[in-house]
Amino acid sequence: SDEFWFDPNEKGLALRSVNSSRSAYACVFFSSMFFQHYCWTAEPELCQKKRQSPLTCKLIMKSVLPVFRCLNTLERNVEKCNIYTNVNDCHITFKLFCKHGIIKTHNLAFHESEPLQAVFSRHMCPNVLKIQSRLLTDVMIHFPTCQEEVTVAVTPMKVCFKSYTEEEIDFSKAMHTKIHLNPDEFDYFQIGVDSEVTFCLKELRGLLAFAEATSATVSVHFDVSGKPIAFSIEDMMVEASFVLATLADIENRESSQQSLCLSQRQKRQKITDLISSKKKSQEYCVCTTTHFIKYCIFQFHSLFFGAVSFKEQDVISHTLHSLATASDAEDDFDNEQLSHVV
Amino acid sequence: MFFPTELQTTTLQAKLFCPVLEVLGSHLLKLYPIGVINTIAKLAKTCTLRLTVDKLYFILTDKVANGGVSMWCELSQGNFFDEFQMEGVAAEHNEIYLELTPENLSRALKTAQNAKMVKIKLTNKHCPCLTVAVELPSLSSSSRIVTHDIPVGVIPRRLWNDFREPSVPDFDVSIYLPVLKTMKSVVERMKNLSNCIVLEANLNGEMNLKIETDLVSVTTHFKGLGNPPWVSEDGSQNSTQDRDPESMAEARIDIRKLLQLLAGQQVNPTKALCNIVSKRIVHFILLHEEVSLQYFIPALA
Repeated sequence: SDEFWFDPNEKGLALRSVNSSRSAYACVFFSSMFFQHYCWTAEPELCQKKRQSPLTCKLIMKSVLPVFRCLNTLERNVEKCNIYTNVNDCHITFKLFCKHGIIKTHNLAFHESEPLQAVFSRHMCPNVLKIQSRLLTDVMIHFPTCQEEVTVAVTPMKVCFKSYTEEEIDFSKAMHTKIHLNPDEFDYFQIGVDSEVTFCLKELRGLLAFAEATSATVSVHFDVSGKPIAFSIEDMMVEASFVLATLADIENRESSQQSLCLSQRQKRQKITDLISSKKKSQEYCVCTTTHFIKYCIFQFHSLFFGAVSFKEQDVISHTLHSLATASDAEDDFDNEQLSHVV
Repeated sequence: MFFPTELQTTTLQAKLFCPVLEVLGSHLLKLYPIGVINTIAKLAKTCTLRLTVDKLYFILTDKVANGGVSMWCELSQGNFFDEFQMEGVAAEHNEIYLELTPENLSRALKTAQNAKMVKIKLTNKHCPCLTVAVELPSLSSSSRIVTHDIPVGVIPRRLWNDFREPSVPDFDVSIYLPVLKTMKSVVERMKNLSNCIVLEANLNGEMNLKIETDLVSVTTHFKGLGNPPWVSEDGSQNSTQDRDPESMAEARIDIRKLLQLLAGQQVNPTKALCNIVSKRIVHFILLHEEVSLQYFIPALA
């Protein structure tokens, strides 16, 4: 997709994106504990405003990606990454501290925008599966990379993943693949309603790569065909979730893809009330409010583009640059083990 | 053992679709057959699979659509499958000819690399299919089953004559090929300069690969390759014995076809040679332990 939502808030940083047809939504939430140092401050409003919403920055994907390109180089060279948001001139600054004293600074302009969230409540889904990421990848590997859509058919006794071909395409040309799994293979298997849902595999591959890198368990929540299916990973510090639309009616082979409404908040995040909220730059004349975030290595690139690796590197220098915030806060995080199993 | 119900169908509609094929292998699918099928997948988009009681053949006939190239690849089934059960169209013609996309087969077999069991059957679902069922080890009590349905076309007996084994042409020179990897990198570089390449060789074990354009001509020389001894069927000496050993036989061929052949090689063949019929055709023969691959590239006008 083209756009990328960058939402820092009190609890952590949320990154979101949606594809152009609005049939796939991805959200990754990094809790403040993920970072070596996370500081989110907001000035109290100068005047009362009815709408209290956190700062939501919308960036162009193409401008963000080059910052984190070349993952191998990043891992080798970058010691620290600082991310600052400057509301006054609508910029996000990524400062990469590399070896040999090189500092790369990227300033990206953003638009303020409405937060992007999908209408989907996981706990309402009758079907829930939890599967090791390794196993899920092993299953998906049997489908060719060009396979667009995959159907998952479940009954309380079995699970089957199969390739899906649209009727217009000549059946006699396409190869069909089916994978049968036993419910035993799942860490958690709950099927409330027999269903067959078809979703776009391509959109999922990014999450699969990320899941494999973190060796996490993938939770799958879904309902009947037509309702969205969600794949999510939850960790102590990171939560990633991909919500995909499914084909409405398999029997009649209507390929009407439902688009996800983007008005309601996603329940999981529980971003309800924020005491203070960000305001537009014009209204601040006195203080510059900045969000100050420091990372070890951050590769959100992988989530959206299927590149693998999510590593942490030892941070050599802990010195803060320019913007000073509570240094005690920094000390708290110094010794924290950010564990991400690769 | 849990098998999905479709696989239990072995009898097929009698009139329209007679052939029966059931193949079972467990520790089969060593590197070679998969490698060969991958090679074939790179050479041809569709090809014919001929099954007889002892052998499998992948055939590509020299149609215009292929650019005149043709291919004949032979494998003995005994080396790969534990059980091979086949019933052709009729008793005296115990063979099956199928048209398929080799890439599909190659993909399906990729699944089978760590399999406990592989079962290949000819089935008839929405259309005739080669169903490859792979039983994979899994963490749970029952195995994981992966099924691939590869659509195939059954070729009727009246067309079988189109797929006869090509005879070895009356060549002018026969020579062993240089190390394929080296040859491939040379040809790859040359491909950027020209669409045609001249392949010439003599009975002194020398081969040259040449390209010529208005601006540049490049030649790569290979020496000491050796010439395979050929004996004709009646035991008489080969006509090439009379030939001047220094004299080059040459053919100008499409470089992309040559590159397709070289690039597709995944395992180094035991023997690799080519027979050149001057200005007519180049016949490549690649032999692996249990597989033989012949590839014909016609000379350009």
